[in-house]
Amino acid sequence: MKQNIHEYLAELEDIPGTRIYTAARARKGYWINQFAMSLMKGDNRERFKANERAYLDEWKISEEAKQALLARDYNTLLDLGGNVYFLSKLFSTDGLSFAEAVSTMTEYSFPEYRDMMLKGGRSPEGNRSIKGGY
Amino acid sequence: MAKITAGVGSSHVPLLGVAVDQGKWQDDYFGPIFAGYEWTREWEKAEKPDVVILVYNDHASAFDANIIPTFAIGCGESYKPADEGWGPRNVPDVEGHADLAWHIAQSLILDEFDMTIINEMDVDHGLTVPMSMMFGQPEKWPCKVVPLAVNVVTYPVPSGNRCWALGEAIARAVESFPEDLNVQIWGTGGMSHQLQGPRAGLLNREWDNKFLDALEADNDDVRHIPHIEYLRETGSEGIEMVMWLIMRGALGQKVKRLHRHYHIPCSNTAIGHIVLAPA
Ligand SMILES: [Fe+2]
Repeated sequence: MKQNIHEYLAELEDIPGTRIYTAARARKGYWINQFAMSLMKGDNRERFKANERAYLDEWKISEEAKQALLARDYNTLLDLGGNVYFLSKLFSTDGLSFAEAVSTMTEYSFPEYRDMMLKGGRSPEGNRSIKGGY
Repeated sequence: MAKITAGVGSSHVPLLGVAVDQGKWQDDYFGPIFAGYEWTREWEKAEKPDVVILVYNDHASAFDANIIPTFAIGCGESYKPADEGWGPRNVPDVEGHADLAWHIAQSLILDEFDMTIINEMDVDHGLTVPMSMMFGQPEKWPCKVVPLAVNVVTYPVPSGNRCWALGEAIARAVESFPEDLNVQIWGTGGMSHQLQGPRAGLLNREWDNKFLDALEADNDDVRHIPHIEYLRETGSEGIEMVMWLIMRGALGQKVKRLHRHYHIPCSNTAIGHIVLAPA
């Protein structure tokens, strides 16, 4: 039953196109996520919108992450330890639906993504394991 | 004596809340989803639970990145709908059952489940969307709620086995509460979905239905599904389905299925729900 933590964590990295929010990512992205969380408050949203760079400079976030936040480069933000539930505060600050924001991380435009979902979504076939290729 | 009389597993997709709040629930897109819940809404009207133990996860609403409780139980008098960035949902406040919640919390700790206790919090779509799906749009919710928040965001999240065992312990705790109460337990989240990265949009109808079959079975095999299987087969956010096992564990070994419904898609997600009673 009880699994070795190293084996457990290694498996989590074996999923194509996926960044599981492990403790290591949570540590790395802590201030990205806390920044995003601050956008839950109306005054913070206003201050951020008025001058994004100045607002980001108030946080202990790396220059690389600040650039990714300014560019809304969500895949890079996942690599830097951002988590989608936190980043979603930025989606709503931008007035973007969850699905539209999610589509920007895929190979599809939003209309194409919506279409894929209507047709039953992305198949798990070939998308389960990097090493196994199944 | 209080008793758990039924369990419900259900998705809690935020867009369903939007559909209810904006009156879109009969349109072409949402119609088939809400039709699937119609049976359950009627059934809830007849069942009239006094309390629902509502297992869900917070989506960076009440908890930020600072404190990450694995299992947290709401012991407060009431909870307000959270502002998730679009303003709070226009739904009634959720009334807690502090006596039962504290009784469960204390019993679970003696039973070696080291719970986090929450006195004040706002509740997000994870909790309020299932309420809307089961009860529609009343002035006031028809029952009290004991919120039970599970960490399914930061890894490791609790194992399916641990969730099942927690459900069993909750059932024992409820049965030792002296007041006569009709209690339901709901496990929410899922079904297959992935909201992040290039693999976003993954859905798995076949696996989701196997999971629903396993919940109906007269055995507890489903508690042993490892995290990696949920993640590979149902997307990174499909892991929310471990929360359904708390509900299932609370119902005992044998159950009777009263209703089941599955629909693809709702936004990024496969929608499913199942109504079970102890047999
Ligand atoms: Fe969720």
